[in-house]
Amino acid sequence: MELRVTERQDNELSIEIAGENHTFMNVLKESLLETEDVTAATYDMNPEQSGGQTEPILTIKTEEGVDTLDALEDAAGAITEKTTNLRNAFETAAAA
Amino acid sequence: MSTEPNSVADAEYDVTFIERGPERARFLIRGITPAFANGIRRAMVADVPTMAIDTVRVVENSSVMFDEQIGLRLGLVPLSTPPGEFEVGESVTLSLDVSGPDTAYSGDLVSAEDLVQPTVDGVPIIDLKEDQRLEVEAEAVLGRGESHAKHQGGIAVGYRHLQRVEEVGDLDAYDAEESHVLRGVIEEDGELIATEEFDHDLRERYPGKELAVEDVPDAFVFHVETDGSMTVEELVSEAIGSLEARAAELREAVQL
Repeated sequence: MELRVTERQDNELSIEIAGENHTFMNVLKESLLETEDVTAATYDMNPEQSGGQTEPILTIKTEEGVDTLDALEDAAGAITEKTTNLRNAFETAAAA
Repeated sequence: MSTEPNSVADAEYDVTFIERGPERARFLIRGITPAFANGIRRAMVADVPTMAIDTVRVVENSSVMFDEQIGLRLGLVPLSTPPGEFEVGESVTLSLDVSGPDTAYSGDLVSAEDLVQPTVDGVPIIDLKEDQRLEVEAEAVLGRGESHAKHQGGIAVGYRHLQRVEEVGDLDAYDAEESHVLRGVIEEDGELIATEEFDHDLRERYPGKELAVEDVPDAFVFHVETDGSMTVEELVSEAIGSLEARAAELREAVQL
């Protein structure tokens, strides 16, 4: 997973996440929207209509004084928490 | 794991099996968001790798079909793939040698690796007549469904909202005859009922009643069928793991 920041301001970040598609990006977007102090999050799968750029670009906006990269890190952590919980719940049901 | 009954880890998701077999199952997950549900579905279809024949060395093909056609058919034979045993790109050799008059079946494939075997023996490859022979050596590769459908472990994977059905009154005489078809799983006072039980027609179960049907928020009934390369449980587990691995990778990349 290669990251490339395409735009960065105090409370706004655009970052290219190479090699990913809707499978992960949509989960990540949702996790970001659930993250505290994130005011907006979206991604574009095909930013230049295939005219060169084909990797998804994630855009995050946060509240004043909150680092966008920290929010991204938190959102990624939240996904791990979800997957762990879901695996536990699934395995418990499967073992029953 | 925490033992507190209200802890987030225990309360967040609830999984219930409605139908369960090694290669086909239906289960309800409560507390899952649409995006996460779709992420898991997509991971099952396109991201969990399975073995499939990718390269074929034709020693003899005197059958009526071209080598390429035989190659495609061989590629589509599902092969067992125990999770975690192989890396993506790793290969296993299989061979096939059948002389006519006979039909070459998937079960005639001889694998060099015990773990990787055709999951069904009865897939016909080609019907061979007198003096026709097919001898090939094939290389099966571990790959992902996103590169080719032959690498898809989940062949029929989808989900529907759980539907809550409530009686809200009686129907007047003319409405009563209209059928009310619904497919999936319904919830009636907390009890889960597959719609097959009443022939998918709510009129069969609630004759003459006016009903209120609504989607239960964040409750999805998954239907998962695999090609036999792994069990449903393994496939779901691997799909969750695939999302988990990417989240961990992202976190690491951000921290740098």
